[in-house]
Amino acid sequence: METLKTAVETRDDLLAVEMKNISKVYPNGIAANRNVDFSVRFGEIHALIGENGAGKSSLMKILFGLEQPTEGEIFINGEAVKLASPSQAIAHGIGMVHQHFMLVPTLTVAENMVLGMPPKKGIIIDYKKAVDMTAEIAKRYGFNVDPEARVMDIPVGMKQKVEILKALLRGAKILILDEPTAVLTSKETVELFRQLRLLRDEGFTIVFISHRLNEIKELTDRMTIMRGGRSMGVYETKGITEQQISQRMVGRDVILTVEKDKSQPGDVILEVRDLSYINEWDKRMLDRVSFNLRAGEILGIAGVEGNGQRELVDILFNLREPEGGAVYVNGHEITGLTQRRIRDLGVSLIPEDRMVFGIAGDAGIADNIIADRFDKKAYNRGPIFNMKSIHEETDRLIREYRIVSRDRNQKVGMLSGGNIQKVVVAREFSSDPILIIADQPTRGIDVGATEFIRARLVELSRAGAAVLLVSADLNEVMEMSDRLIIFYGGHIAASFDDTTTLTDELMGEYMLGLRTQASEPKEEKTHV
Amino acid sequence: MYKRRMLGFSLIRGLAAILLALAVAAVFIFLATDEPFHALQQLLIGPVVSFGEDGASFNVQSFYQILAAMIPTIFTALGVCVMFSANQFNLGGEGGAMAGGFVAALVAIYLPMAAGLHPVVSVLIGAVAAGLITLIPGVLKVSVGASEMVSSLMLNYVVMYVVLHFLNYEFADRSKGATQTHAFLPTAKIAQMVRGGSRLTYGFIAAIAVALLIGIFMYRTRWGYQIRMIGINQNFATYSGMKVTSVILLSQFMGGLLAGTGGAIEVLGRYNTFLWKELPGFGWTGITIAILARNNPVAVPFAAFFIAYLNKGCLLMNTNSDIPSEMISIIQASIFLFFAAEQFLAGLRQRIVVKNARDELAQAQAAAAASEEG
Ligand SMILES: Nc1ncnc2c1ncn2[C@@H]1O[C@H](COP(=O)(O)OP(=O)(O)O)[C@@H](O)[C@H]1O
Ligand SMILES: [Mg+2]
Repeated sequence: METLKTAVETRDDLLAVEMKNISKVYPNGIAANRNVDFSVRFGEIHALIGENGAGKSSLMKILFGLEQPTEGEIFINGEAVKLASPSQAIAHGIGMVHQHFMLVPTLTVAENMVLGMPPKKGIIIDYKKAVDMTAEIAKRYGFNVDPEARVMDIPVGMKQKVEILKALLRGAKILILDEPTAVLTSKETVELFRQLRLLRDEGFTIVFISHRLNEIKELTDRMTIMRGGRSMGVYETKGITEQQISQRMVGRDVILTVEKDKSQPGDVILEVRDLSYINEWDKRMLDRVSFNLRAGEILGIAGVEGNGQRELVDILFNLREPEGGAVYVNGHEITGLTQRRIRDLGVSLIPEDRMVFGIAGDAGIADNIIADRFDKKAYNRGPIFNMKSIHEETDRLIREYRIVSRDRNQKVGMLSGGNIQKVVVAREFSSDPILIIADQPTRGIDVGATEFIRARLVELSRAGAAVLLVSADLNEVMEMSDRLIIFYGGHIAASFDDTTTLTDELMGEYMLGLRTQASEPKEEKTHV
Repeated sequence: MYKRRMLGFSLIRGLAAILLALAVAAVFIFLATDEPFHALQQLLIGPVVSFGEDGASFNVQSFYQILAAMIPTIFTALGVCVMFSANQFNLGGEGGAMAGGFVAALVAIYLPMAAGLHPVVSVLIGAVAAGLITLIPGVLKVSVGASEMVSSLMLNYVVMYVVLHFLNYEFADRSKGATQTHAFLPTAKIAQMVRGGSRLTYGFIAAIAVALLIGIFMYRTRWGYQIRMIGINQNFATYSGMKVTSVILLSQFMGGLLAGTGGAIEVLGRYNTFLWKELPGFGWTGITIAILARNNPVAVPFAAFFIAYLNKGCLLMNTNSDIPSEMISIIQASIFLFFAAEQFLAGLRQRIVVKNARDELAQAQAAAAASEEG
């Protein structure tokens, strides 16, 4: 990585926010922030940029008083503060618009605006006044919102404006926007940027969280780059290229090695043809995606989250309907088949969200293990379950997959994250699958379970299963995959038949949309 | 170790609930009457003990009456267990019990059959009719997403008025002063199990047997398994490949089947003609019992006994003391509340879980250390 001058604070800079040496360890042991220094000047738009899980939201929740730092100090306008709750942060002029909106859908815009601080006539809430206040502040900052519309009826872009206005109404001078563009259409994004610039020109200070390089380059003055809970430095936006940002954002601190033999690809098992999907906000999440996967190989799908991977996996397992295109397994079209039929064709899925799809938390391990096979002959005697064979199967898998548990009836929801995932994996790997779709198979679980699951995936693929590995973990996709595809904006940005020559830098550029294989790298807009 | 600790905890929790419930009941009783001890005696031991000149004695007939009262509610509660286990809050048991009773009564009156067969066939036909009725909210839910709670609640009244219509205009015995059907054929009656007027019929044996069968169904068959998994996490059930829609419908049908059985057995066991002119209330009681039993079919008879005993005690307290009946309802409700509070003493339970986890960790570490040495 080339060296680059970082933006240094001098004594003359007036700092609106200064966070020093912040560390945050959540009760589950995840260290979301490690000794992070973060500062924002008065009247700037400051980007906080990093991949999913880098710790951006955690850092900002600390600044907004929603989370308490495990270590570190916070200064607002040069004064040391303790922010024990959002109301204290608000009192210091900090406002935050969350990644997920926090509006009450059944109330009107005006009612949401004054929630928790309603204007009153005696003891009665003065609704008319609330409407007037909303209209007035919206007009003052040039926001186009309808105070009397119900929040559930208004478009996403307007909900966001309501969130921003709410913060302004509460006297925020420092605005934190957590991935505000993730849900917006490009038109709405343009509108948002125009308004943010206006706010800056009025003297507001803005922290803008994103992982989209082009937006950051376009909008912000300076940036702090985060990776793996650490700050990778503070830079003037003008002084850094997108490539340089990408190198600092994406990359591995430690390179993991996975031992595996060379793959011996067999027949095509999975064929994806021209798959398209448009989500409920009219956003095109998949755009005519096509690829093949053969028996005996691991095909990795890399990409920053939210670039169509989730939609792809859901469609493969018929949990979503595609807008167009088709999927074939072993030559059979599976688009629209029931999950039962898809499983009967030999497809297994480790779902991204194990708590929502992967397990029944209030049921025991045995109940979770037999979910895909309970109606097979081996587990029934006429109408009654053959408990002996169910128990044998469960005990065998508990042993084989080293699931740490009290007994086979322990509720799966009570196990640790790694052991919950082992229950899912034990079920999905033990049904003799010809195709395993592993979506973020090791996210958020301990090292032991991670290594175990990766080794099993390699083992199964070398034994002839086709493995589709979807992962946002660079180490995992780069080291496990025989072939690799990178998703960006619902397209296949790049596809590699040989992963051994790939570098982190190159991956980063594809993942962040700086490069696509069809065209050569985009021209650099700035020069260092 | 863990099992024993959890069992110990369950017992303590049960005892604490009883004591608290009694304490609250006692407070109300002391507020409401000058003879609180007499009233408490009626409530607590009145249902099974009679006080004569020569002291207290076990009142067998009264005990039988309690058992008899359990019969229909065991069935409705089992129905609720099956429906609620699928996470479908179908409240149609009330209408199901009434419809089941009415249809069974019609078969008992108009379809002559052999003595052994007649009650069985009557009950079965009544049950199926009830099952079809509770299926309606299920169908509305899976097809158009209508809340089963709302539609089943309204359905109960539709069922009631339909039954009343047929009772009044089609099947009434005009020779009688009251609105009732003709008498059941003698072959259709369900036989009494004991002598006396307790109305404890062989339906009781059937109720206990069905409770066990439903226990087996829910915990030892693939259908019950699917019902439970759908109830716990429907996304998981879909993803695993279960036939979610059919299983939900099956559970709603079975719920009605059981409620209808309860209504039918009650009608054929207790009466000679059909004469219900309003919803019988077994559906509501069934919900209470199922909640107490935490949807576990095998626990249903015990919960049903508790409720029947409590009802009887309150009834005695009402007749034999000067406590107003509104106060009795309050007392009954507060006793129930303490039993039903699912999260009652949840904090304590949480602490035990944490302690267990810590113990396990320590054990695992000790084991690891030992194996390293060895
Ligand atoms: N409330 C929480 N409890 C436990 N872990 C959390 C919590 N919130 C976030 N994390 C974890 O902390 C890490 C950083 O998350 P986050 O700050 O949301 O990252 P970002 O906003 O950059 O995507 C992730 O690994 C995430 O799973
Ligand atoms: Mg975030």
